Amino acid sequence: MASLRAEFTKGLWTVLPPFRLVLGLCPTLAVTTTGINGMGMGLATTFVLIFSNLFVSLLRRFIPTQVRIASFIVIIASFVVIVELVMQAYFYQLFKVLGIFIPLIVVNCIILGRAEAFASKNNPVMSLADGLGIGLGFTISLFVLGSIRELLGAGSLLYYDAAHPGFHVMWASFEPFAFMLKPPGAFIALGILLAFMNLISQIQAQKGGGR
Amino acid sequence: MRDIIRMIAVLTLIGAASGLVLSLIYGLTKAPIEYQTIKFVKEPAVKKVLTGYDNDPILDRTTISVGTDERGKPIELVVFPAKKNGETFAVAIEGTGKGYHGTIGVMVGVNKKGEITDIGITSHSETPGIGSRVTEEAFTARFKGKPVTGEIQVDGISGATYSSKGAMSAVNEALGYVNTFKQELF
Repeated sequence: MASLRAEFTKGLWTVLPPFRLVLGLCPTLAVTTTGINGMGMGLATTFVLIFSNLFVSLLRRFIPTQVRIASFIVIIASFVVIVELVMQAYFYQLFKVLGIFIPLIVVNCIILGRAEAFASKNNPVMSLADGLGIGLGFTISLFVLGSIRELLGAGSLLYYDAAHPGFHVMWASFEPFAFMLKPPGAFIALGILLAFMNLISQIQAQKGGGR
Repeated sequence: MRDIIRMIAVLTLIGAASGLVLSLIYGLTKAPIEYQTIKFVKEPAVKKVLTGYDNDPILDRTTISVGTDERGKPIELVVFPAKKNGETFAVAIEGTGKGYHGTIGVMVGVNKKGEITDIGITSHSETPGIGSRVTEEAFTARFKGKPVTGEIQVDGISGATYSSKGAMSAVNEALGYVNTFKQELF
């Protein structure tokens, strides 16, 4: 089962979606104004990713190659609509914040990418592990990115809504960098995180024999 | 030829299965979504205009038919009743008016005596900082205690004439419903 573990863990570091693959940047940059928003987006994507991987993998011998992309999109779109309806019914505030980015999960290239590159060539168990790993990696990335922006841009952590404001962690005289919550702040935070990850990889590579 | 038939069959099957599942999920989530929408969009305004009730106006909401649109479909008006000891003493209904940009929705609270208890703006797309001042207490308080008979006129906000008039026409539309359907409301 070593390879099953490998399929799961690769999504957490070696092919971590927004940082390693630099894919799926639209939701990554747009909705990560708070940690919770990022996590909500990540979990919604994970749900779609797991089930689209599972169903694409189950149907991979049944779907003719000529119409595979159309079939994948129908499968993905169905799960996206399910996520949208459930979120609207039970997490209305999150639904309002994420808004248009929920239906846009359909065209998130991470999901179609995993369906095409992995699930259509592997068995359902492997595909589930792959979807779960990539999804969790995506969720953690968005949560970390969102938390950094929230911390610097609003001085708080884990803000959900006016009734659940999370924690105000910065000192009282801290003046928030409001631009961190705007689109340029997203690029800057993403760039700094990417730089850190590359630095860590470089140090690891040097330790491992200067490759 | 066999390939084409197979492609069509597979896509049709997948599409049909997807449609079936989605219609099931839609049926399951329809009621909660309606409740959430009302709760988050209308409840703040309903809570503002009604006070002293011991029921849940959102759960006790009723609809009355106020006429038909050009296609013959009935137009429904949602009524939020405020009750004390089971007796309705005030209702909140929503009217709409044309502002400077788009429609302004105003929730109007009316008590049994025939006075406006308060108004609250539910939706608008007026210019932030100018027309959006109609949502402020300084403006909405001008409607408090006005009698529901006849057209309501209050002082507009200087610099936001269109928005003020839009809010006023929304209030007057709601009052029109109150006067026409008084028997059914209380």
